[in-house]
This record gives sequence, C-alpha cells and structure tokens, in this order.
Amino acid sequence: MIWGSILGITFVVALIILYEWPKLKQGSKKEKATVVVLTGAGWLLAVLLVFFPEMPGPTDVIKAIFQPLGRYMEK
Amino acid sequence: MIEKGRISAFQMAIMMYLVVVGTGIIFIPGITAKYAKQDMWLSPILASLAGILAVCTAFQLHKLYPKQTLIEYSVNVIGKIPGKVLGLIFLFFYIRMNAGGIRIYADFVAGSFFTETPLIVIISTMILVCAFAVHGGIEVVGRTSQFFIPLYVLFLLIIIILLLPDLDFKNLFPVMGNGLMPSIKGAITPQSWFAEFLLTAFLLPFLKDVNKGRKWGLISVFAIMFTFVVTNLVILFLMGSITASFTYPLLTASRYISIADFLQHLESIVMAIWVAGTFVKFSVVYYAIVLSTAQLLGLSNYRPLVFPLGFLTMLFSIWGVANETESSSYNSTIFPFFSLVVQTLIPLLLLLVAFLRKKSGRRKPN
Repeated sequence: MIWGSILGITFVVALIILYEWPKLKQGSKKEKATVVVLTGAGWLLAVLLVFFPEMPGPTDVIKAIFQPLGRYMEK
Repeated sequence: MIEKGRISAFQMAIMMYLVVVGTGIIFIPGITAKYAKQDMWLSPILASLAGILAVCTAFQLHKLYPKQTLIEYSVNVIGKIPGKVLGLIFLFFYIRMNAGGIRIYADFVAGSFFTETPLIVIISTMILVCAFAVHGGIEVVGRTSQFFIPLYVLFLLIIIILLLPDLDFKNLFPVMGNGLMPSIKGAITPQSWFAEFLLTAFLLPFLKDVNKGRKWGLISVFAIMFTFVVTNLVILFLMGSITASFTYPLLTASRYISIADFLQHLESIVMAIWVAGTFVKFSVVYYAIVLSTAQLLGLSNYRPLVFPLGFLTMLFSIWGVANETESSSYNSTIFPFFSLVVQTLIPLLLLLVAFLRKKSGRRKPN
C-alpha cells in the first residue's frame, strides 16, 4: 500500500513535469529551476507524509503561536 | 507585466463575493450559532467591518503604488529583504488558507454525500479543476465566476423561499439577551472570512476601471453581509435554539424542505451550488498564490507554477490536520487570529509606512 502510494505520487509529479517541460523550453533558467524545486519539494513532502502522517509542520507552529488567543474562543 | 488579461470591477466584486460566501456559507452559520446563539444574525454585520477595512486598505495601497500587487509594493514600502520576507508570510498564509478551505469543502462533501470516497480524491479533483482555470489566467477565473453567480444566487433564493412557510419568527427573541458579547464572539470567525477581501490587492492592478474598484468592493462586502444575515436569520427562524447542534445548518434546513411530498431532497442542489462557489473561491485564491510566487521570485510567467503549487496546496490540506474535528477547531479558534494579524494588521501597518514614506518623499525634493 505504502509503495503503491509512492508510485502514485511519483506518477503525478512526473505528469506535472512532463506537462510543463515543453512550455518551459523558451523559459529562463530561473523558471525551470523554480518548477523543478517546487515539484521536487512537493514529491519529498508527499513521500514523507506517506511514511509519517503525524509529522509536525508549519500548521503546528501557527497553532503554538495563536493558541493563547484560541483558548479564549474555546471557553 | 506578468498578466495580460483584464477584468472589470464588477467581475472583481463577483469573484470576491464567491470567495467569501463559497466556503463561508458551509462553515460560518454553524460556528456563529455556536457562539452567538439567537444573536447569530448580528455577527455578520459586525464581521463585515473587517471586509470594509480590507477593501479600503487594499485600495489606498494600490493608489499609492498603482499597477502593483501586494507582493510588489511590500518590497517598495519596507525594503528588499523585509519586503520579500513579508511576501513569503503572505504566500504561506494564502497557501494554508486555501488548503484549509479545501479541507472544509472536502470534509463537507465526504461527510454528507460521498461517505465512501477517500478525502484525497475529493481534494485533488477540485484542485485539478481549479488548476485549469488558473492556467487560463485572471480573465477565465473572472468569467467563470460571472457564469456561476446567477445560478448561485437563484438556488440560494429558491431554498430560502421554500423554507418561508416553516419559519417561526419568535425564535429571534430575546435580542441581545446576554448583551453584545456573544455576537462579538460569534463575529470573530466570520471576520477572517471577510478579511479575505485583502485579495483585492492582487486583483486591483488588473482592473479595466480601477477607480470603480473601491465602490464595487464595498458593494460586494454589503452583498455578502446581506447574504449571511438572511441565511442566518432563516436558519434561526427554522431551528431556533437547536441550530448550534448542527455542523451544516443550511444543509440540514434544505433537507427539511418537503413540499407536497413531491419537492424533496433539495440538499443535492445545495451541494451543487456550494461546489460551484467553492470552485471559484479556490481558483481566485490559487491565482493569488501563483501570482505571488512568480512575483516574489521575479519570474516573467506564472503559468508553469500552477501545477506544482496546487500539489503543495493539496499536501498542506492534509498535513497536520488529522480529521474534521481538528480542521474545524483550527478554522474557528486559530485561523481567525492568524488572519487578523496577516490580513488586517500587517496591511494596515504597511499602509501607514507607505503613507509616511510618500509624505516624507514628497518633501525631500524641496
């Protein structure tokens, strides 16, 4: 199941790159780099989330910052 | 300029209407009922102040820095490095906001209709459709919203009209039985939805008639306020004190409709229009995300970023949000304050700094 998910994620990421690449041909180096980095980051994050669904992320940072105010709402 | 398409101020108003009402109408009535009880119709009126403030802030900033978006002028206002950092904060905020909105939509659809469908399928199909709209540019998003709005308003009206015979106006009383506090508390969550009007800062540079921007923005705020007040009143009149026990009171209300045992199951209509509304909402926010990323990095074309950023948004909608309860508690207790800081306080400060800089800048040449 896990490997199936990873295969699926890789497939989606490959589709994104294949779809964008022909149009990026005329684009600048910066554009290519941005697309590769963003898609790569997406792939990495997706794979990590398959293995560790409970992985702490930015949402937890936001929660920690605004928790004192949030507690007022929970009353 | 990165975007060649142009929209009218009227289209912007429609887009912003659906941005706020799209997910708002799913999520807001239940939350306001929880805090404000029978005063739930007052909360949207108080909350709309955040919308008015956001429209005016965005418009003034755009006046000081014409033809620039929030991301571009924050660099001009507070300098290169702090401006880019601020841009990143906005970018993260909007990705998280869109992810949160998609999660609300997905939980609603999965919980009420497609109980066997995995959440990720609902999320990814919606993002895929939005991605195609955003790929088309601002004009496409504007026209889709123009296409959906008559259906949206019409079906909402039909639901309300069909509920009219069952309304009990006595449920309104006592008005402000516990003072103003419950309705203020109930306004905290909707204010973050109204504050989404800051997104006009991304749309104003592409208006054909910029000088009408503020007028149509304010009209849109009032239309949304009116929509929320009317739906909240209808729900309150129909269900009274038990409103707070439903997560989606308007959906429950539409299930209640039964005219002559013939006109039934209108909740499918409710879902259809809500899906259309959320589609426009996510597309507009998605567009702002893609545009901000391109401008933040100084790219000349935003289109290649559409799919990678959509993929990231999809991941954010499941990352750190284990279930519907967690999503709902995040959106009602954490997100309102996060939005208050990012969508209201920071732009106001930005406006103040921009104003002071322009003033001192004008004096310098003398």
